[in-house]
Amino acid sequence: MKRSWSDVALSVWGVLVFLFLFAPIIVIIISAFNSGRLLVAWDGFGFDGFAALLEKPAIQSAVWVSIQTGFIAAIVATVLGTLAGIAMARHPGKWVFWFIGLLLLVSVTPEIVDAVALLPWLVFLGQDLGIGLFNDGIVRLVVGHSLFSTAVVSYIVRARLVGLDAQLEEASADLYAKPFATFRRVTLPLAMPAVLAGFLLSFTLSLDNTIIAAFVQVSGTTPWPVYVLSALRSGLRPEIASVSTIMLVLTLVALALVALVLRRAGDSATQIARTMTGN
Amino acid sequence: MPRFALAIPAWAWLAIFFVAPVAMVVWFSFGYKPGIFGTHANDVLSFDRYLEALSPTFFSTFLNTLWIGLAGTALCLLIGLPVAYWMAVKAPPSRRGLLIALVLVPFWTNFLVRTIGWQVILAPEGWLSTLLQDVGLIGGPLDILYTRSAVLIGVVYNYLPLMILPLFVAFDRVGTPVREASKDLGAGRWRTFLRVTLPLARPGVIAGVLLVFIPLMGDYITATVLGGAKGNMVGQLVASQFQAAQNWALGSAMAVMLILVIMVTVAVGALVVWLVMLPIRSRNRLVLGDAPAAATGGDRASEAARESEEVLS
Amino acid sequence: MAEPRTPVRILASESAAKVIRSELSRRRFLSFAAAAGATGLLAACSPGGGTSSAPQATGGALENELSIYTWGDYDSPDVLEAFTDELGPNITLDSFGSNEELISKLVAAKGTSGYDIVVPTGVFIPQMIENGLLQELNLDLIPNIEFMDPAFLGRAWDPENAYSICKAWGTTGYVYDKTVITRPLTTWADFLDAAQNEAAGKTSVLDDPGDLTGIYFWANGIDWNTTDEADLTAAEDYLVNTLAPNLAAFDSYPGGAAIPQGTHVLMQVWNGDARIGILESPDPDRWQWVFPGSETEIWMDNWAIAAGAPNPEAAHAFINYVLEPENSLAELDYIGYHTGATGIEEAAAAAELPMLDLVFFTPEQIETMREGEVNDAQQRRVDIWNKTKAAAGA
Repeated sequence: MKRSWSDVALSVWGVLVFLFLFAPIIVIIISAFNSGRLLVAWDGFGFDGFAALLEKPAIQSAVWVSIQTGFIAAIVATVLGTLAGIAMARHPGKWVFWFIGLLLLVSVTPEIVDAVALLPWLVFLGQDLGIGLFNDGIVRLVVGHSLFSTAVVSYIVRARLVGLDAQLEEASADLYAKPFATFRRVTLPLAMPAVLAGFLLSFTLSLDNTIIAAFVQVSGTTPWPVYVLSALRSGLRPEIASVSTIMLVLTLVALALVALVLRRAGDSATQIARTMTGN
Repeated sequence: MPRFALAIPAWAWLAIFFVAPVAMVVWFSFGYKPGIFGTHANDVLSFDRYLEALSPTFFSTFLNTLWIGLAGTALCLLIGLPVAYWMAVKAPPSRRGLLIALVLVPFWTNFLVRTIGWQVILAPEGWLSTLLQDVGLIGGPLDILYTRSAVLIGVVYNYLPLMILPLFVAFDRVGTPVREASKDLGAGRWRTFLRVTLPLARPGVIAGVLLVFIPLMGDYITATVLGGAKGNMVGQLVASQFQAAQNWALGSAMAVMLILVIMVTVAVGALVVWLVMLPIRSRNRLVLGDAPAAATGGDRASEAARESEEVLS
Repeated sequence: MAEPRTPVRILASESAAKVIRSELSRRRFLSFAAAAGATGLLAACSPGGGTSSAPQATGGALENELSIYTWGDYDSPDVLEAFTDELGPNITLDSFGSNEELISKLVAAKGTSGYDIVVPTGVFIPQMIENGLLQELNLDLIPNIEFMDPAFLGRAWDPENAYSICKAWGTTGYVYDKTVITRPLTTWADFLDAAQNEAAGKTSVLDDPGDLTGIYFWANGIDWNTTDEADLTAAEDYLVNTLAPNLAAFDSYPGGAAIPQGTHVLMQVWNGDARIGILESPDPDRWQWVFPGSETEIWMDNWAIAAGAPNPEAAHAFINYVLEPENSLAELDYIGYHTGATGIEEAAAAAELPMLDLVFFTPEQIETMREGEVNDAQQRRVDIWNKTKAAAGA
């Protein structure tokens, strides 16, 4: 089949945008093998940056804290956001107006305000009310990172379901499926692409959060972005790029594995959802 | 069970960890900064901090911010929309999950580190500069860092995923049958895109625009990392009061002002879009409604489109 | 601060006192060390005596842990590792990006932050003492303070070193591209002149209210901590209307990227950052570092112990450990800033570290360096900084 020029143009555009997204990352991968003192100034090829990781527990700990926090925060935000998004799309009413207002407020509030507000609040919950949970660094980071992400997931899930006919759910109910079964077998698969996208976006946002993280962290839980930002004072070393490269490679390997598993399983989640909607 | 039952966990979470602490900060805005070593005190209440916050600096900085916000959001939409469409409609279905992940993978590298990557690329003596000079596209060294163009590169790069993902999800839901029905009814691919696909994807477009514009307006770091002085934004004023001045009272007042001004901007923007779309929408309805031999697919499309319009307007 | 300071006399007497004190304390330390078992008991009893519930350091056995809250990548990993190997406590390292972050954290936590050692910049120390965020050092447990150069002890923010000891200090100068600015620049006035001429639109300044307003005050022979409204208004007028249109960026660390990449022509920069930038530049000869007259800044990051520190003994032992000349040199080599130790210049020269003229300064130069101060004019300086940014961004 001959492809039309618009299809070709679209594909070219898609590839170009992906190149744009990865351009700086390529530079970082190259810098990871810089044996000099500064990340940006090429000195010579070497593995010094990778070796430095072994010497610096602070770096390993920071990366690990960030990954843990990212996962938990993304799960929290995805669960809360998905439920809220489905409620907004399927049970609209006056409350949606107020809820969207709250979500907008969450997204518009500058991070520094969240940061200075959350810090004394978490200390109050943890120390004064004695809820020990809130003295835990990871819990604090998860709370801080989940706010904006919850709003993001809610928007995306709502955007997915709004206006998409509820006939399937009605049919399911007509067939005497229990509400929970309808939710699990019909609504959730319909929303699934949005849920996955929201999860990935939440993870990404958490991994990059610097300002809130810097304020709420406790001893032993400095996350990676805070470490990098404060390492500017003595000049970023190539090891920062080396860590990033290792993370990238691990990510790509994980993705390849997932892709493989999905192919084995037969179909992607997107396809399952489509089969259901378009029969 | 109330209609909003499923939203209760999110309500509760945001009430405890957002509304309560931020309300406390809003409360600070009615107080003052006691002495040079204190950050806030509330024993005397007034609106004085708000008067201080409404300085000419605030408004001139806000104009710069608005420009960056609007230009950045528009560019993200223009660049992201075709990509999202391509990913959701044209790319092989088995690859779509992978493509979504690939959009985000670059952002799993730290923000500052990515920025440095861009600085290396765009530096006057970097390889892009050399390449462009060798090809003869530019006469002298590349002079783009710390310009308005650099502001936009930084903003578009970092906010693009927040645009692409909701758009992808929205295009993905339109589904092949609806589009094919439209084509069966004689609509060309452009007509199908403009009259069926795009209207159905509108909730996604709105979500994407809001997800880029709103946080961008409160952001103050992204625009400065490549744009330097030209990327100055009003969020910086708020942060400077909390940090350098350690004046939490004034910082809170500024934050409240900033939030109000952004909300008003969004409301005005929504009104303008609604007014502009009014004639287009009624024409759309007419055309689809008039189609005499409307097959079920076409009906469904027009119905769904109308439904989505109603929900959003 | 406007009148010439008389540091020599004061510092001499102070340093004499320090030597005597540290001599005494060393002997006490040794006797304590000999009775290690008994002091363990002593340490266990001591908290009850103090008003604070936090344990105080008495020279007892070291705890197994030590939590240091400092700037990222600010200590030689070799020194940290050696400390754990030799003395035992495992170090947890956390990072902050600004002093305000550190202070907010300690204020909110009300002594339960869990951090032992913190590393604030000098000007913030009076505020931290006032708010009870730091605990007094037990200098008896830090005999190695004798290796410190008296010039860097007893600074204005903590005259007795009751709470803090210099960790690293630096100064503010600028770097320019000799291929563009061909005339020699030597003062802050030259900086301002070049920014409006050869370097117009290619100038960066530090992203800090004090350092920005400082340029104007230093160039005009005004105390940079002035609270005089006329001076501040004049500075605002000049910075907003004359300097701002020529500024390309507010960049606190040009050495990390802008200098090696040749992004700007004229950059206000801290000395250690300039040194790394020039060392790593593909063309080091292109850049000229200027230690500008007539006055400029001295800033100092300091070892201090947070109030409520859970591991005060280990904290004191660590501070004492890093002050050892050998470790001090390793720290200097790693971060590129003077640690304030006596004789370290000779040691660094012997170790053949490069570009030491950007690390060490003559006593005459040090005489022209002025400490900053958080005072009543801070809000004004922040306003001027914000207005300058608005004007530069327009």
